Amino acid sequence: MTLDELIELCKKQNATAQGELYKQYNRILFAICLRYSPNYTEAEDNLQDAFITIFKKVGQYNGKGSFEGWMKRVTVNTVLQKYRKQRTFEIVDEGQIEDEAEVEIESEDIPLDFLLKIVQELPDRYRLVFSMYVMDGYQHKEIAEMLGISDGTSKSNLARARMILKNKIEEYNAKNDNT
Amino acid sequence: MKEKKNIDNIFNEGFKDFEATPSPRVWENIQAELKKDKKERKVIPLWIKLSGVAALLALLLTVGDSLYNSTDAEIPSITDENVIKTEKELQKNSSEIENDANATQVASEDKTLQNDAAGDESLSESDSVKSKSEEKSSNKFFKNSSIASNNSEKEASKATENQKNNLIGKDPSKKALNEGIVSSKNNSEKTDIGKNDKEEKLINKDIVFDTKKEAVVVNEYSEKSTSEKKLVKTEKEITEESKNKKSIFDAIAEKDEEIVSQKKKKEKPEHRWNVAPNVAPVYYSSLGNGSSIDPSFADNPQEGDVNMSYGVQVSYAISKRLSVRTGVNNVDLSYSTTGIEVGTGPVAVALRSVDYGGREIVVTAFDKGALANNGPSNGFGDITPKSTQGDARLIQNINYYEVPVELKYSVIDNRFGVNVIGGLSTLFLGNNEISVKADNFNSVLGEANNLSSVSFSTNVGLGLDYKLSKKFTFNIEPMFKYQLNPYTDSSVNFKPYYLGIYSGLSFKF
Repeated sequence: MTLDELIELCKKQNATAQGELYKQYNRILFAICLRYSPNYTEAEDNLQDAFITIFKKVGQYNGKGSFEGWMKRVTVNTVLQKYRKQRTFEIVDEGQIEDEAEVEIESEDIPLDFLLKIVQELPDRYRLVFSMYVMDGYQHKEIAEMLGISDGTSKSNLARARMILKNKIEEYNAKNDNT
Repeated sequence: MKEKKNIDNIFNEGFKDFEATPSPRVWENIQAELKKDKKERKVIPLWIKLSGVAALLALLLTVGDSLYNSTDAEIPSITDENVIKTEKELQKNSSEIENDANATQVASEDKTLQNDAAGDESLSESDSVKSKSEEKSSNKFFKNSSIASNNSEKEASKATENQKNNLIGKDPSKKALNEGIVSSKNNSEKTDIGKNDKEEKLINKDIVFDTKKEAVVVNEYSEKSTSEKKLVKTEKEITEESKNKKSIFDAIAEKDEEIVSQKKKKEKPEHRWNVAPNVAPVYYSSLGNGSSIDPSFADNPQEGDVNMSYGVQVSYAISKRLSVRTGVNNVDLSYSTTGIEVGTGPVAVALRSVDYGGREIVVTAFDKGALANNGPSNGFGDITPKSTQGDARLIQNINYYEVPVELKYSVIDNRFGVNVIGGLSTLFLGNNEISVKADNFNSVLGEANNLSSVSFSTNVGLGLDYKLSKKFTFNIEPMFKYQLNPYTDSSVNFKPYYLGIYSGLSFKF
């Protein structure tokens, strides 16, 4: 079965096709959910919601752009809906922090699950902004629009996320150097 | 080996080909959700909303229409209780019609079965068939009701027609039609029954009856085959129709889902509550040609006046498109009757619908020309005409406190919105007075004594709005309100309505 056929069947709410689509894409989309969610359990919940949205909205996919890309966007949107409303109380004036694009650290072989863990530990909005900007290639303007915040806030959130992550990696490195 | 690296790159590269397997629980949940969704899809939100609005409008129109079309004597006699009753009866009747239709079909079914059996001189068999048919009738009941509900009025009226014909039994073609329907339904069943019965009857050792029965089936089939075919066809058409209708519902559901998914972000209204102070010029007039003050003014020129209504409404958004609202409005209504003369005289000859507050000699009004024939014989002998300059007018002022309960459905919901509004208002009578006015004369006669202290109106209207900001909206709503039981007096053929163009600013919170 080609992907196009699979999509057509999914549009008709064919259960077998839905199963096949899930089988093919659950791993990629789950990776996204893991990066955007605070923990594994919520990531699973979000994956579930994302797939349900995909199955419901598949009729809207018009063939422009890759289907995988479309599914990823739906997934990101689904997760955003859940977390963008949970506002973090920010004591620091967000405008004060400069966008420091070049945050460099000494990199060793840092295990992926540690990286994932520290991303998940970020406050909701920082996590969303960081994942969107750094790993999924969204621009600040898009992020701002999607999260209902200003460009500046997006930039400052990103900068703060970077700083938090940098500190954690440095801690990790220090710990490993000692041992 | 250590090297300085951009933190973005660490994550970017790290998660580049990152994949992870969720637990099987996720897929199970998705499947469960999808199944649930399929079931829920039959309960279509948009359809419900639309049908709700449609039903409401239908109810209002039916009530309004039935009141408007009923005889003159009936209308004014309607009191609060009656209105509620008629509404209830309307609902009751419709369900009764459906039930009756089903009942007659079932009944006629039994009848034909009995007839067939009698023809074969096999009563015991007819009983067995009858019992089977009764079992089936429950299924058919569903079938009928679904068809009836789908085809609603048409079907219901057809059914009642059939019912009548059955009762009278004079129309052979219709009778045949009914029999045809019954037999066509039964034939397919009977073959089943025949097979099933065989076993049972063997146990009962009623083989003779069984063979007879089969013969009956064959006979019946050949006798009615032609009419049956047609009827089977029509039945098929009906079922197909109903199928088609279902598919339309599905289509609506799909469309609805598209809309829902497109606007999912916006679907849940952020601000459900809405307060809207409003003010409106209201024009009061009557659909009937009688006079609310006195029957003698029925043929006089009457005209509604424009007054003001003001108040505040609170609405709650059930969904993005549908909201329910209530509030309170102070409504002033008035209308004037011309072609009158003014005179002073004893209460006994004065207007009966005016409460003069115990005065003996009162100012009152008469149809122009009535006083010209002034004489002891016509009862106007005691009246002293008052000369007035210009045309004298008899003015009725009514003040109501209106409490509406209305549904508002948004048809277009952009910056500029269009809404359909329908509902009911309860009108609590405030002050009212009847007065006479001329260029040089102005006198309050008294209160009208035939106004209901609590009355109702059915409201329909169109709402246009323009969103000034996220929270503020400017509304203009032309509304038509038809009063249901404004007068307690049964001699009044005065069917008042009022038109208002309500405008105001609404504030969401």
